[in-house]
Amino acid sequence: MRIDHTHRKWFIGSVIALAVALVVYIPYSRSSPQGATGGSVLGLTYGSLGSAFMLFAGLLGLRKKFPIWRVGRAQAWMRGHLWLGFLAFPIILFHAGFHFGGALTSTLMWLFLVVFVSGIFGAALQHYMPRIATEQIPMETIYEQIDRVRGQLLEEAAKLVEEAASSLAGNVETATELQRAASASAGTMGGLTVASGLQMDEEAAVELRGFFTREIQPFLEHAGSRGPALGDRNRAQGMFRQLRVLLPANVHSTVDDLENVCEEKRQLDQQSRYHKVLHGWLLVHIPLSYVVLLLGAVHAVFALRY
Amino acid sequence: MSPDGTAGKPVPQIQLTIDGVAVSVPQGTTIFDAARLNGIPIPTLCHQQNENPVGVCRVCVVEAGPKFAASCIRQAEPGMVVKTNTDQVQGVRRTLVELLMSDHPSPCARQQHSGDCELERMAEQAGVQHPRFPQKVTPRGKDESSIAIAVDHEACILCERCIRGCDDIRHNWVLARRGKGYQAGIAFDNNLPMGSSSCVSCGECMVSCPTGALTNRAVVGTKLTGQAVAPEALLGLPIFKNVSGTFLELNSHAVVERRFRAGEIICREGDFGATAFYIVEGKVDVYLSSPIAHVKTQDSGQGFLSKLKSLLAPRAHDRRHEEVDRPYIPIDASVDLPYDNPIAELGPGELFGEMTCMSYYPRSATVRAKTDCTMLEMLRNVLDIMQRNKTFREQLERTYKKRALDSHLRSVPVLASLTPEFIDHLRERVELVRFNPGQVICRQGEPGDSFYLVRLGFVKVSEHRPGGDMVLAYLARGGYFGEIALLGGIARIATCTALDHVEVVRIPGEDFQLMLDKFPAIRQKLEAAAAERIAANRQRAVQVANVPVEQFLNQGLMEAQSLLILDLERCTRCDQCVRACADAHDGVSRLIREGLRFDKYLVATSCRQCRDPLCMVGCPVGSIRRRNSLEVIIEDWCIGCGQCANNCPYGNINMHPFPVEQDDPSYPGRRIASVKVKATSCDLCLDHEEPSCVYACPHDAAHRVNPPEFFAGLLKQRSSGMKG
Amino acid sequence: MLRRTRTTKTLAKRMDLQYFSKPHPFRRWRLWLSVAVPVVALVWIVFSQRATGEKVYSSGPLASSHAVFGKKCEVCHESKLGFFSKQVSDKKCLACHDAPAHHEEKASFTPQCGACHVEHKGSLRLAATLDAGCTQCHAALGAHSRGATQFVKDINGFDDHHPEFAALRPGVSDPGKVKLNHYKHLVPNLAGPHGPVQLDCHDCHRPAGMEGAWPYASAQLKTVSAEMDNTVKSAPSRAYMAPIRYPEQCEGCHVKDLQFDKRFDEAVPHDRPDIVQAFLYRKYNEYFSTHPNALSEPIAPERMVPGKFNPPPPVPHNRQEWIALQVELSDRILWGKGCKLCHTMIPADDPQQLPTVAKSNIPVRWLPHAEFDHDAHRLLKCDSCHAKSRNSQDTAEVLVPGIKSCRACHQERGPQRDAANGQCSECHQYHDWSKEKPVKGMYSITQLRGRGKSGF
Repeated sequence: MRIDHTHRKWFIGSVIALAVALVVYIPYSRSSPQGATGGSVLGLTYGSLGSAFMLFAGLLGLRKKFPIWRVGRAQAWMRGHLWLGFLAFPIILFHAGFHFGGALTSTLMWLFLVVFVSGIFGAALQHYMPRIATEQIPMETIYEQIDRVRGQLLEEAAKLVEEAASSLAGNVETATELQRAASASAGTMGGLTVASGLQMDEEAAVELRGFFTREIQPFLEHAGSRGPALGDRNRAQGMFRQLRVLLPANVHSTVDDLENVCEEKRQLDQQSRYHKVLHGWLLVHIPLSYVVLLLGAVHAVFALRY
Repeated sequence: MSPDGTAGKPVPQIQLTIDGVAVSVPQGTTIFDAARLNGIPIPTLCHQQNENPVGVCRVCVVEAGPKFAASCIRQAEPGMVVKTNTDQVQGVRRTLVELLMSDHPSPCARQQHSGDCELERMAEQAGVQHPRFPQKVTPRGKDESSIAIAVDHEACILCERCIRGCDDIRHNWVLARRGKGYQAGIAFDNNLPMGSSSCVSCGECMVSCPTGALTNRAVVGTKLTGQAVAPEALLGLPIFKNVSGTFLELNSHAVVERRFRAGEIICREGDFGATAFYIVEGKVDVYLSSPIAHVKTQDSGQGFLSKLKSLLAPRAHDRRHEEVDRPYIPIDASVDLPYDNPIAELGPGELFGEMTCMSYYPRSATVRAKTDCTMLEMLRNVLDIMQRNKTFREQLERTYKKRALDSHLRSVPVLASLTPEFIDHLRERVELVRFNPGQVICRQGEPGDSFYLVRLGFVKVSEHRPGGDMVLAYLARGGYFGEIALLGGIARIATCTALDHVEVVRIPGEDFQLMLDKFPAIRQKLEAAAAERIAANRQRAVQVANVPVEQFLNQGLMEAQSLLILDLERCTRCDQCVRACADAHDGVSRLIREGLRFDKYLVATSCRQCRDPLCMVGCPVGSIRRRNSLEVIIEDWCIGCGQCANNCPYGNINMHPFPVEQDDPSYPGRRIASVKVKATSCDLCLDHEEPSCVYACPHDAAHRVNPPEFFAGLLKQRSSGMKG
Repeated sequence: MLRRTRTTKTLAKRMDLQYFSKPHPFRRWRLWLSVAVPVVALVWIVFSQRATGEKVYSSGPLASSHAVFGKKCEVCHESKLGFFSKQVSDKKCLACHDAPAHHEEKASFTPQCGACHVEHKGSLRLAATLDAGCTQCHAALGAHSRGATQFVKDINGFDDHHPEFAALRPGVSDPGKVKLNHYKHLVPNLAGPHGPVQLDCHDCHRPAGMEGAWPYASAQLKTVSAEMDNTVKSAPSRAYMAPIRYPEQCEGCHVKDLQFDKRFDEAVPHDRPDIVQAFLYRKYNEYFSTHPNALSEPIAPERMVPGKFNPPPPVPHNRQEWIALQVELSDRILWGKGCKLCHTMIPADDPQQLPTVAKSNIPVRWLPHAEFDHDAHRLLKCDSCHAKSRNSQDTAEVLVPGIKSCRACHQERGPQRDAANGQCSECHQYHDWSKEKPVKGMYSITQLRGRGKSGF
């Protein structure tokens, strides 16, 4: 979620909440005989507040599972997730009095730290990445559908090539008649001229088909663009420039289309990479946050048992 | 000139010589007839024995005494010496034909079709197929507005045979001459296109025409199965009364008789077709087999979770009920189907499938024979002939007034409260009027004199503005227009044009006023609706005026009233919107998170609520419609024909299979599971305050916006940037 | 010329309309991890509970003193329903530690051990309790003590309302009865035992626990009687200065002040007047025996007897009279000069009786409620704290440094402020250790350490 001026209220609220928590914490930690501990009234307050924040942040996952529940707009939940999740960490630190404690609590603390840091990292990613992706991938599509679209691109490219190649072949046939006519009327000179032109078209068709099977097909068939030469934008441009030189002008538009298809594929690959970055951190954040909630519950039960 | 006046008295005989043969004919006989009676053929183009001669073509020229005369019109005189075949006469005749040929496209339609263009045959005999004179065919245009008859004014030789056939023989008084010089030609009514004229498609003119100026339009590509019907048999039916037998013969392939046993399905909703059915005898049931359930509505489940879910996702109220819903589903027949029990019965003399036949819309309902029955299945030209037939029209109007007017009036929400007495009063007053595609029903600025209810077809309501027309609405069956002018006593504020073959019910202004006086509630409602319409129109006009950038128009964004846009700088592509949409709609997403971009926004593939909702044109059951607030929604009786999905230029309507339970056709009474395809499109989550996609977006990226408003700042900035 | 066009419809038609309901590797991973990782965590916690008991739920490492039974929660925690209670009762603490009640019996409540001594905070000194433990009462002592109290009622900390030390309050003077002029002792060229000397603080004051000879002690000293040693008993630690005792710090120089007669090269013992008297009798008896003509010797005319009235000495007529005269003369010198130089001599009511010596009463601890460790401060120069000592000429002057000089280094939360610690527990103790009772051990090694390596 982009953090912009619309977050001002949350920001101010969080700062105030943090300040209040801090203002309460300082004299409390100084005045309580044994320093700040989780077991004191205030420590428990911090603990329950922090775990409430964490729980709320965790509920975002549930909220997302049921997107049509009219339980508040998802973006309000998201803002809550961001800011309350952000607040939860210092408040839990206050709860613990900045001690990591024993095995369970220090595990919890470390995990929570990881969740917290990954969350901040993710928030930063979500703040910056969409803009970058938008700028760099004008042809992006739905991530889950990239494979399908890639298949369609391959089909499209194959069709383009087939059409162009058969039109070149068609040229051959019509020209053969022309050649005959020309030979009959204009003599061998004309016949030769036409014939040499013919030769070129046949070669062009072969060349185009070859280029397709050699370069385009493998490039489009496989996700990721590291292997084939077309994966590199500059090299691809060079290759297509060469191809245009080899082919007659009437199929240049097909070459343009093919180049565009390859460009789209390249962008899809890029999108795939971006998507993995933009959402990859969730693979850390989400499972660990479940663990934190789980162990937090265990901690709460054992700490409040009597 | 008419021989009728002399019929009573004995007519004195006169003697004359024709081509050296002495003949005796009654006084007043024309030379042409005299020769004909005596077996001497005189070639002619404009004259036909069953018509009054007019002597315009002069091909029947003969040497009558010292002078040449047109034999068709010149009366024989006693002692007259007539030579019909001298070289001189032949030369004159040849020149005349040659001259006619030089203004006749050769080969004309008739010549191409059957090789029997009289002029061209004549020219061939005379050896002047290629006239010496420069071919100066002045463009006079063609008229293909009639379904049954094609008019090629260029092939017309102004013989007036058609005019006489129409006026003198059939007494329809539709045809006449028009123009002068090269622009002279025939005209229908007040020079209207033939299809829009009062022509009744009796076919007499076409039968009379010697050239390809008036030809039969065969419907090609459709083979009818069934028993061919002899033209005589058709002529025996009252609905084909007064139709030219020849014409029917020409169209005999376009009508067949079909017999169905009770229980047999005649046609199914959603099928494509090109024919209409006329019930000769027997009864049929018309019904919708699609289960009626709001496509969007979810079943509330039994389990705890679903209960919780329904608690959390409350459906406070279906806001559709804020409008008084139409209690009838319009179908392609003379009756409407009641919403709560969509079934109706049709009997002998009734017609269904008109829209399918005329405008190729998919079948709007399923028809099943209730008793053994006989039908005429016809293609559009025969249907046209039939519909233009006075007898049929009278019958149709009678049936309509008797059976359908009631439900039709009541299907209009604002008129639902009319009393039966008043409807009885209206029965005598209303009028069914047909319009052809493109025909203007009422024009902006004209004084309003009637109120119209659409019975068949689609009416486009557009407003003329400087810079072009703007479509305000498309009205389908059940739509009404013309009330604003009548309410306010002002000129029409919009132009209403028939998009296809439209039939409207015209309620005269005075009856409308009477209704308003009698039913203040209706007046109130109409006034409210009218005020809303005017306000909405005005608002749109303002928006249109505010958006200067043409580039914006390229994506059709200007057309949209509401766009689902995703701010790509916020969107993390988490797909929550799609999931929310699917959750809100039975697991089917009506939103595709893909599309073109405008600025930093992705215009997602989701209904745009176009100002010009092309999707609505052609829905055979009127299930896609606009709410008063102008949102486009698809009602639950969608039959899955896919017309709207094809029409939508933005891919915003998708066909989705839905599992349904249906009656087993082979075992009545048993239900079987099957799959029914229905059209789905964004309904803006009417149940809720806010579309689910927008509500569920965690990143504040999805918005439903009015594009001109939303992009106003951006557009201004851009346009000033471009100027700079 | 590019012929490919992208329109909303063509783009949308490429999509599978149901794609979102089909699994995708990314989402599948997310789901898998979301299930697997919490399961791993559960497994971990269950296993570690089985392996280490409930130590996994411990709220932190133990203090080093208790770390020895880190695996034996039951040493401190009572077991309830099979799980260990979070609270530790005083009973468990008192099993190993005797903790006498607070010095002030007027305290209105006795907190639990755990209230001040917080465990599971790592290797902290459990005794170093936080100020809050003290200030919870002392910040508002009026409300927390029964009846009136002599103490300041609103002490919030060392920096905050801690009063000046009692010894330095107005009207308080050094109770010591030994006349000592610090200034005079520190002037150069004092007459030492073997010539002129320059004294320093360390020559007389040094930590009690420090070993080695005192520079101005005298070896040929007689034992002093216990009665003379009226100093406060203190542990032989280096915290406090050794008490000032004549044989150790004074005798080297001051032994000549105890000489009573030139005929003897001995001095009287530094002891009670009656012992001195007996010593004199014995000495003169011996002298008379060894000097038959003692009666004829001049009666030490050169010995100036202090006093305004100096009547002519009586002439001794016999041994008794001679001895009595000699003793009387010596007595006069000693009581009037030798002893009186340092001690306050209290004359008896009856002039025939011997005077008594006022108790020297030199305080060893000036701050009775606080602990002070000179050794910890050994890097300081003495007079940087005891600033007035060098020039002090009045015995009654209290030379203990004021709280101000403590505060120069000691502040609350000192270590955080780059200062010396200013916690209450730095100087004060809650428990009155003087009342400590012995504790009887009740654990065996096995009970604390378990059997074998694993602890089971």
